[in-house]
Amino acid sequence: MPPSNPLPPKENALFKRILRCYEHKQYKNGLKFAKQILSNPKFAEHGETLAMKGLTLNCLGRKDEAYEYVRRGLRNHLKSPVCWHVYGLLQRSDKKYDEAIKCYRNALKWEKENIQILRDLSLLQIQMRDLEGYKDTRYQLFMLRPTQRASWIGFAMSYHLLGDYEMANSILDAFRTNQMKGPYDYEHSELLLYQNMVLAESGQYERALQHLQKFQSQILDKLSVKETSGEYYLKLKRFKEAETVYEDLLKRNPENVMYYQKLIEAKQLSDPAEKVVFFDVYKKEYPRAIAPRRLQLTEAQSQPVFERLVDEYLRHGLHKGIPPLFVDLRTLYENKTKADTIEKLILQYIENLLKSGAFGPEPSEVKQPASALLWAYYYAAQHFDYKKETERALHYIDAAIEHTPTLIELFIVKGRIYKHAGDPVSAYQWVEEAQALDTADRYVNSKCARYMLRAGHVPRAEDMCAKFTREGVPATENLNEMQCMWFQTEAAATYQRLHQWGEALKKAHEVDRHFSEIMEDQFDFHSYCMRKMTLRSYVGLLRLEDVLRAHPFYVRCARVAIQVYLRLDTHPLQDAPQTPEPDTENLAPSELKKLRNKQRKAKRKAEQESALAAQVQVKREQHHKARQQQEQGDPEAPQLDELVPDKLARVEDPLEQAIKFLQPLRMLAADKIDTHLMAFEIYFRKERPLLMLQSIKRAWNLDKGHHHLHDCLVRFTRWLDDALPNLHPHVAAVIKAEVQPMVGGRSAVQMAEEFVGGEGVRRQAGALWGARALRRLLPERTEQALALATSLQYPDLTIQGCVEVLESLREGEFGPCEQQIERYVEACAVRFPYAIAFKAAGATSTDTPHNDDPQEPACTN
Amino acid sequence: MNIRCARPSDLMNMQHCNLLCLPENYQMKYYFYHGLSWPQLSYVAEDEKGHIVGYVLAKMEEDGEDNRHGHITSLAVKRSHRRLGLAQKLMNQASLAMVECFQAKHVSLHVRKSNRAALNLYTNSLGFKILEIEPKYYADGEDAYSMMRDLSAFAVDNKTDSQSTENLEIKSESAIISQC
Repeated sequence: MPPSNPLPPKENALFKRILRCYEHKQYKNGLKFAKQILSNPKFAEHGETLAMKGLTLNCLGRKDEAYEYVRRGLRNHLKSPVCWHVYGLLQRSDKKYDEAIKCYRNALKWEKENIQILRDLSLLQIQMRDLEGYKDTRYQLFMLRPTQRASWIGFAMSYHLLGDYEMANSILDAFRTNQMKGPYDYEHSELLLYQNMVLAESGQYERALQHLQKFQSQILDKLSVKETSGEYYLKLKRFKEAETVYEDLLKRNPENVMYYQKLIEAKQLSDPAEKVVFFDVYKKEYPRAIAPRRLQLTEAQSQPVFERLVDEYLRHGLHKGIPPLFVDLRTLYENKTKADTIEKLILQYIENLLKSGAFGPEPSEVKQPASALLWAYYYAAQHFDYKKETERALHYIDAAIEHTPTLIELFIVKGRIYKHAGDPVSAYQWVEEAQALDTADRYVNSKCARYMLRAGHVPRAEDMCAKFTREGVPATENLNEMQCMWFQTEAAATYQRLHQWGEALKKAHEVDRHFSEIMEDQFDFHSYCMRKMTLRSYVGLLRLEDVLRAHPFYVRCARVAIQVYLRLDTHPLQDAPQTPEPDTENLAPSELKKLRNKQRKAKRKAEQESALAAQVQVKREQHHKARQQQEQGDPEAPQLDELVPDKLARVEDPLEQAIKFLQPLRMLAADKIDTHLMAFEIYFRKERPLLMLQSIKRAWNLDKGHHHLHDCLVRFTRWLDDALPNLHPHVAAVIKAEVQPMVGGRSAVQMAEEFVGGEGVRRQAGALWGARALRRLLPERTEQALALATSLQYPDLTIQGCVEVLESLREGEFGPCEQQIERYVEACAVRFPYAIAFKAAGATSTDTPHNDDPQEPACTN
Repeated sequence: MNIRCARPSDLMNMQHCNLLCLPENYQMKYYFYHGLSWPQLSYVAEDEKGHIVGYVLAKMEEDGEDNRHGHITSLAVKRSHRRLGLAQKLMNQASLAMVECFQAKHVSLHVRKSNRAALNLYTNSLGFKILEIEPKYYADGEDAYSMMRDLSAFAVDNKTDSQSTENLEIKSESAIISQC
């Protein structure tokens, strides 16, 4: 960056040294030189020096001063490209990319051909996906530096990303023939494959294939050559050649499922019997491979054939003692006949193993090792658990534990059976038992922590995780630093269930921040990949980042956040302390003593923790400093506001906050009806008629008969009754026209009545929503609504469904109904005897979700 | 189970698998760094629903032209999917790619001294040799074995690459779960 406001030679030399210090990260020295210039009254207001001083200060973490100096510099020298560039860099470091782009553009106004600024601008443009702008900038860079490799690549890529494949391909062709000389190395190989990708994406498979064949010998990545040419042959219906390619690929990796599927396509097999024969060939060819044996089971349709094959498969697995046998076969259970066949076989094995130690009854059968019975029990337990037959599942897992009391897998399955039966407390206690048997295995540790969260024990889960997180740092902090999103999404949901809204929001925001950070992570790769030539993967990265928040972790945490914000909108927190003192007046003296003891203990623990936290703070600061010095890329990362649960829960604009979480879902999870239903709930509360309409329409297009959608429609119709006359006539006209096909002129009451008389209420969730609408519109029919909601006669009845009904009753959605609640709980308890949700408080459970005292006797240790 | 080369969209799920299974964790950027520097070297094992149940995250050490070798940054298979030989299969695929794309002569890795199961897999099933002990290699102070596997067997004629992989399957990982 040459200064455009000339300083005398001495000062100019100093200024250059500031620039050099900045580039070499010698910020303290840079400030010294700046001081030398600025202390001369003649140059005290020298714009570019002031700006550079600000930029340097920013790198030392003094952001406020940085902005002050940079802005002052700019004011003193508005026509300086240096000042504008510096201001852009400052904004960029603050992640204000749009602002930074404006600054760079201003800088370029005063110095059109500054390569550095153009490069920086192009990085921001690609980061922000301003593809047109990116193309223009890359064009200028190309014209200015036509001999540089990156100029060509960036130029070609900008066309590729805009879908102009022909242009991208021509640039790459010209580059390859003129610029790429010398040895055919990895980078050359990657470039060829990138060009091939461009051709394929243009849909010209013939041409792509020819290109690939022509340059095959120069490409090192043989796997990609084979996989893509196989693809092209299939697309071009050149099946014989495709067959050869996939046969070849299988030799390389006989565990790749896709190769078998493509080979079936190439051989044009459609009859299940043919496919079974097909897999016979590869079973023989690759006797050690699992894929052909397993895929054959999926394809086999005739019962006797399936039975013969699965018999062989099960015997092999039980004989060898392969723990994932059930996990491996589970997807076959979608087919009822297959599941029944497996059940029959497993029960036979157990019977025969007990009688004669062999799988079959014939005397000629080979005797099995003692472990075969164990693995058969283990399989049976998981099988019946899958079928929700809790008693039988427990019977077999207990038999297995009696057989071999030290096998960790057994306790994990026992825990899972309790989980499915609705008893998360026993579930985590059994997994804790497993964990104690092998404390060095993080997988079991993670599973145990997850189960603890399901049982509502956040601190206990954190303690469990702490066994594998960095010492001297609270587990949550280390988990957050490592972007451990399974824990954070799970904890968010747990806090939500515990009605600890602030904590739930904190976890959701933490996850959201990880996603922002992962978006930021792209930045360095924009230039890195052009040097490395790994352009195919780079494009893959860009496309991943475009849809990043479609990831289940985000979707789940966004749902929690939105639900919590909706809740906080309806029931804002009072100013009273969040956790009210327990009602001590009504406690017996002994219980009061217990409570006081507990409070003392908690206080002691809190004190210890805060002491630890203080230590940690010191350590962390040291750590951060060390890292900042190490990390060259982003020393000036902006400090984010601390997430304080209580503040989050008392936010003034919960609906606006909810919308922030909703936006990415509307873009990326538009195929999920939940997205639009949540959107409706938000906009309904905000009274935004067109957005309500849009949400309902989108949901309608996904699933007309959806139970929650029904309720939204009813409420919308009811709302329109009052609101329509006050709306702008054009808006009203649009809404009337658009709701017509969905509502068909019915009133809200008619719709509610129709729904409870129709198909929708044959399912549990439908019945609950139908009942809600009925009760809201026609309170005189509460009786009927209650009967509908609390019936247990639904074929899809689940514990979770019943819990929702119960919560709905307790929230008063059906008015006061103490007796009905009692009766419902009793009925559910009979239906789901293990589920703790329906047990009278304190009756059998040794453990309540709010109890986090580790001294509490548990069944373990 | 399906074994295939990892794509950028797998990297987040690899991180998830790593956090479930192993004490050594990395931020996403480090996964991106691997996936974008050596896209051919990392492999995943996925179940029928597409969930990642095991992975190998690998890189090249580029210290000098004659010492080009691969390095296994991280290898994990969920406990729920052990004894299917996934670790071995993942490692062999990654090793072949190291040879083909980067002319690796050998591959190195570190393993905790206490991790008997993994040590057994590397020595008995994959032909790794212990080079040396690196004291206090891990953050918690545990020593590591620094191990190495010669890859010249993978470098034989590409047409018979499958045979080379078959030959290198010395013994299946029978001892991964030891006490049952």
